[in-house]
Amino acid sequence: MLNKAMLRGLLIALFFGTVLFALIPVHVPRPSFIPGFAPPPDMWPRTVSILGLALGLLAMAFAALGGGNETSDEPKRGPASAVEWRNRLIRLALALAAFAGFVVLVPLLGFLASSMLLALACFLLAGASGRWVAVLALAVLLPLGLQLFFGNVTHTPFPSGSWGIFPGLN
Amino acid sequence: MWNDLLFAFESVATLANVLAMGAGILAGVVIGAIPGMTGTMAVTLALPFTFYLPPVTSILLLVALYKGSTYGASISAILIKTPGTASAACTVLDGWPLAQKGKAGKALNMALISSCIGDFLSNISLIFLAAPLALLALRVGPPEYFMLMAFALTMVASISGGSLLLGVVSACFGLLLATVGEDMYGSFRFAMTEDMKSGLSVAPVLIGLFALPELLRLIMFRDENHGQAMKLGDNRLTLAEFRGSLKSIIRGSFIGVVLGAIPGIGPSAAAFFSYGEARRSSPNSENFGKGELEGIAASESANNGCCGATMIPLLALGVPGDVITGVMLGAFMIQGLTPGPLLFQNNLNEVYMLFIGMMFSSVLLFGAGKLTVRFFSHISSIPQVLLTPVVLMLCIYGIYSISSSMFDVTVLLVMGVVGFIMLLLNIPPAPFLIAFILGPMFEDNLRRALAISRGDPSVFFQSAISWIFAGLIVFFVGLTIRREWQKFRENRAAKNA
Repeated sequence: MLNKAMLRGLLIALFFGTVLFALIPVHVPRPSFIPGFAPPPDMWPRTVSILGLALGLLAMAFAALGGGNETSDEPKRGPASAVEWRNRLIRLALALAAFAGFVVLVPLLGFLASSMLLALACFLLAGASGRWVAVLALAVLLPLGLQLFFGNVTHTPFPSGSWGIFPGLN
Repeated sequence: MWNDLLFAFESVATLANVLAMGAGILAGVVIGAIPGMTGTMAVTLALPFTFYLPPVTSILLLVALYKGSTYGASISAILIKTPGTASAACTVLDGWPLAQKGKAGKALNMALISSCIGDFLSNISLIFLAAPLALLALRVGPPEYFMLMAFALTMVASISGGSLLLGVVSACFGLLLATVGEDMYGSFRFAMTEDMKSGLSVAPVLIGLFALPELLRLIMFRDENHGQAMKLGDNRLTLAEFRGSLKSIIRGSFIGVVLGAIPGIGPSAAAFFSYGEARRSSPNSENFGKGELEGIAASESANNGCCGATMIPLLALGVPGDVITGVMLGAFMIQGLTPGPLLFQNNLNEVYMLFIGMMFSSVLLFGAGKLTVRFFSHISSIPQVLLTPVVLMLCIYGIYSISSSMFDVTVLLVMGVVGFIMLLLNIPPAPFLIAFILGPMFEDNLRRALAISRGDPSVFFQSAISWIFAGLIVFFVGLTIRREWQKFRENRAAKNA
């Protein structure tokens, strides 16, 4: 049975294994000429990946032997029903979609409008929907205030987006 | 010397100088407390104002901003789990748990007092130890840097939380991520997009790793009463608590002074070093990472202990130790002062005025800190459901404003997700961060030393400094193995019983 500690070891080993066998050969090219006796550029990533892979396998071995139950600072969670877990995963997926949506929308809507949408999404997903006035005010005024602050103090040029929403503020 | 110092004291104690330092400290504290806004940014923004000020006043303004922002970073680290700079990352480890327990004011007060003491001792060292520390800094070459970095990486054991193995795994993630971008010989590693060629900046990685997982946790587990405000209770720091941390404060200050005097090391490494040492030697070592005031004292005294010391190589040798002192070097030259040995010959009065002004600024830092602690500690009373998304906005705008790069904002968000996965898997984020910061220095100096020695590894054991660090590495690794072995035996005995 794959418990949490074993799954964690497997994920660690898989990650470093992928880096070692798939990413380094393709994305860390060795130059044709290396000055003096300097070690090649892939020496260090390879060393770290081998170490990480070994540690992942070690973590799996510990888990198989009944170890890996280290103490955690995280609060202990009570049992949750299948519906609760489904809702949790939906909320997490929506939050990740909001992050991705922000990155995609900035070139279209501009930084300010995208930030307002992201702020609104985060307030609602975090559970502040009962405080509509505060949520709406913060989602609109906070990005606006920050944009004005950074635009005027550090002269940061914020992207206005191809759709040109709030053209005077970007 | 004493007459010169007395004369300098009279020259510095003018309303204009005190106002410049006070404004600098206060602005620095506020800027440092905003996630993404760094001391470098504060000093750079203030640079144009110095054109209109006398030389010493302008340098004091910049130094005050530097000191204020270094302390200010601890405010956001404690209250919203968002270290303003990498040097405050260690402060999160104990500051945030204390804030959650309703002791935000106590944590802020400890951060302030240890910052001021660290800063004060650093200034004293600048006055009396500038010459020997500058000579020491000159003797640190690539092999010594490498050994020093290797020793610093042994700190991973102290910040790994419940599992050393997971701490080392976390450090491996950090070391690997630090290799993204161009290496010292111009080869590109893991540069899958054009933006990745310049590597990943520390600020988005740091803030993403610490601040954003809180938001994702709040969103995912909001049904477990995570969204409420923290209690605002115990704010006063007692004399007993201060006394209990005094040893760590003094040790941290000296770690900050020595590491600050060596160009390129910086306050983040000093803070991690000091934290690790405090944890190793403290009778309360089990409480570190769960809300131990001594942890805050150790890291804050070390990072502020660097502030004065980073001026040592700048003033004595004309070598800026980091980006901030690089900007200050520019300010010196704009004012017609050339840092280096000749500065002490040609502009001794200005140097002494600077020394005295920096001592003044330590006192002003305490005043500004006390003024702001009361105000900032009320942030904890804002409900988490409102505060955490606000922090996200501050992070996004702060990170974008550093380099006007959407890539950095994307890195921030991705690191937030990575940090959340690490949180779910109980992988501690602090070793990741220390490895990410120290990794490039470790690797560059390893490769540089091997290139100099034509591949001969004995280069790492040719100086007394290298031998000292090699001895310390062996000692602390041995100590860690012994501690882990004892823990393993205790656990086995408990299972069998």
